[in-house]
Amino acid sequence: MQNGVMRAVPSILRAAVRAPVSGQARREVLFCLTGVPFGLVNPVVGFYLVTMLLWWATPSRRPPNPAWWDILGGLLAAVLMLLVLAAGAARPLGAASRRLAARLLGERIAAPPLRPGRGLDGRLAAGLRDGPGWRAAAYQVVKLPVAVFECYAVVVFWGFGLVNLSYPFWWLSFRNHPPGTHLHPVPVFTPLGWFGQGTFHVATLPGAFAAFAAGLGMLLAAPWVTRAVVAVDGWLMRRLLGPGGLAQRVRDLEQSRAVAVDDAAAQLRRLERDLHDGAQIRLATLAMNLGMAKKKLGADGEVLDPPAVRELVDAALLGAKDAIGELRELAKGIHPPVLDNGLADALATLAASNAIPAQLTISLPVRPTPAIESIAYFCAAELLANAAKHSHAGDIKIDASGRDGMLLLRITDDGTGGADPARGSGLSGLMQRVAVVDGRLEISSPSGGPTRVTIALPLRA
Amino acid sequence: MRIVIAEDAALFRAGLVRLLEDDGHQVCAAVADGGALLAAVDRHQPDVVVADIRMPPTYTDEGLRAALELRQTHPGTAVLMLSQYIETTYAARLLRNSPAGVGYLLKDRVADVTEFVDAVSRVAAGGTALDREVVSQLLAASRHAGGLDPLTPRERDVLTLMAEGRSNAGIATALVLSLGTIEKHVASIFGKLGLPASESDNRRVLAVLRYLGS
Repeated sequence: MQNGVMRAVPSILRAAVRAPVSGQARREVLFCLTGVPFGLVNPVVGFYLVTMLLWWATPSRRPPNPAWWDILGGLLAAVLMLLVLAAGAARPLGAASRRLAARLLGERIAAPPLRPGRGLDGRLAAGLRDGPGWRAAAYQVVKLPVAVFECYAVVVFWGFGLVNLSYPFWWLSFRNHPPGTHLHPVPVFTPLGWFGQGTFHVATLPGAFAAFAAGLGMLLAAPWVTRAVVAVDGWLMRRLLGPGGLAQRVRDLEQSRAVAVDDAAAQLRRLERDLHDGAQIRLATLAMNLGMAKKKLGADGEVLDPPAVRELVDAALLGAKDAIGELRELAKGIHPPVLDNGLADALATLAASNAIPAQLTISLPVRPTPAIESIAYFCAAELLANAAKHSHAGDIKIDASGRDGMLLLRITDDGTGGADPARGSGLSGLMQRVAVVDGRLEISSPSGGPTRVTIALPLRA
Repeated sequence: MRIVIAEDAALFRAGLVRLLEDDGHQVCAAVADGGALLAAVDRHQPDVVVADIRMPPTYTDEGLRAALELRQTHPGTAVLMLSQYIETTYAARLLRNSPAGVGYLLKDRVADVTEFVDAVSRVAAGGTALDREVVSQLLAASRHAGGLDPLTPRERDVLTLMAEGRSNAGIATALVLSLGTIEKHVASIFGKLGLPASESDNRRVLAVLRYLGS
């Protein structure tokens, strides 16, 4: 444990030093800055500008404060702006924001479905009932405070951080006066009270290095601050600029259907390959051996080379047995017959035949539909095989329970952990297969173990 | 005959080597993919190549593409393709230029040892060996299906064997008929289908295939 912490320290330090110079940090800063103009297309800004404009344009003597009609004009402008945004203007702005997020943050947000309605009237009417349009307008409204924070993060943490870093350099170049010269103290700006006169003042060279240290600290913190603000912006964009609930669901279903179709095609292809390279070629070889034996036996009379014939028939017999075995395995891979008796029996067989002993706990008051049983079985088989291959576990627990219309399958091993769906295609394949029926697969596998995989499937699919 | 074998399934490859060597031929090399096949032919200059169509690394038509390349670079080397499936398009690609020294058989045919060795010899000698499956698919798909109506059942048998690449003598043996009878049938077929009579077996195969495929 102690050892693990000691080992982790250098890698954390390395990450901290690298963060400010990483490409990700650069792209996030760029995102913050390019996002500012979007924040300005905002009813609040409209309200302020119009109010000020009306007040400024008041003929004759200008009152000291805007009058009520100036404010009313500003409010009207703000409402009008909101309607225009919702009725159509916000959508292209949202699309631009999505493109920025995709290019700079790698955050791909699907576009909401297209707006119905034809012709100007139809489009206006449809525009005001357009859910995604209103959500995009809402994004424009909340973008203003977010943009303020984004600006703040960039200007204060990155900008002032860099400025502070430069203090010792220009101090040495320009402030090299003879001793005794009275120097005006120079303000240093940090996030702690940066308005006005600066957080502290420096008047000496060591002071300049204090500013340098403050700058260094700010720059080390800067990438995390921008990342946090950008994360909030990203969350808002996903909620407000993506396809809404039902559309999202349709998209998810389209995706899982594509996975299911691809999966079925891939399974057929694998089956053909297995047959072609397995049983089929074994049977062809077997036929060839028998053909050679037959030729050596001749049509009648004395057999010329009995040992060779015996050897050929032996090879043919072996080939036949191998082909039968291979066909049996193949058939079992398509649908294990034991699954006909239910998941409990099938899992028990699986647990009993596994290389590492597995303990089985099952409570399934309601039998899942065959498709779910099949998915659960093949997931369990794959996970057990994985555990046997990679985990070095001594003990595996399989736990299957049904409640609230869900089948929960949990497989735990006491092995070395470190299972990562991003590395092996096996786990991600299982995730996809489970997702096809709206199931979930969760993996907890810290380095050093234990590994626990939980699969939740609906009882009926 | 000097033979190079290309087949990725080790057991089947070993069986082929044994079968051909038992029959008194020399197997110069037995390799497992298309690239190795080209290299082996360069080195050994065999009379005939017996190659699987589906081999690594692509597991598609690796062997066929190697064979087509060999037809260009080593016109003197005959190629006999083996496969677990018959694809008429593959046959068409093989026969595109000339059916001389080309063969395409199902792998099951090796079980009939004498016939298989006979096909290898025929191809090596510049003849043709087409699987009867290829021919029957061509017959079934032939746009001239109606045009085959005037043929008697016996003449259809002869036409099929002719398309497989057999000589008159070979057809006579296969059908247990006299050579003279076969010659009479062949002349009748050519007459009924309006094909130009041809002495060479290969030109005859080509004429029949063109007729069936066009």
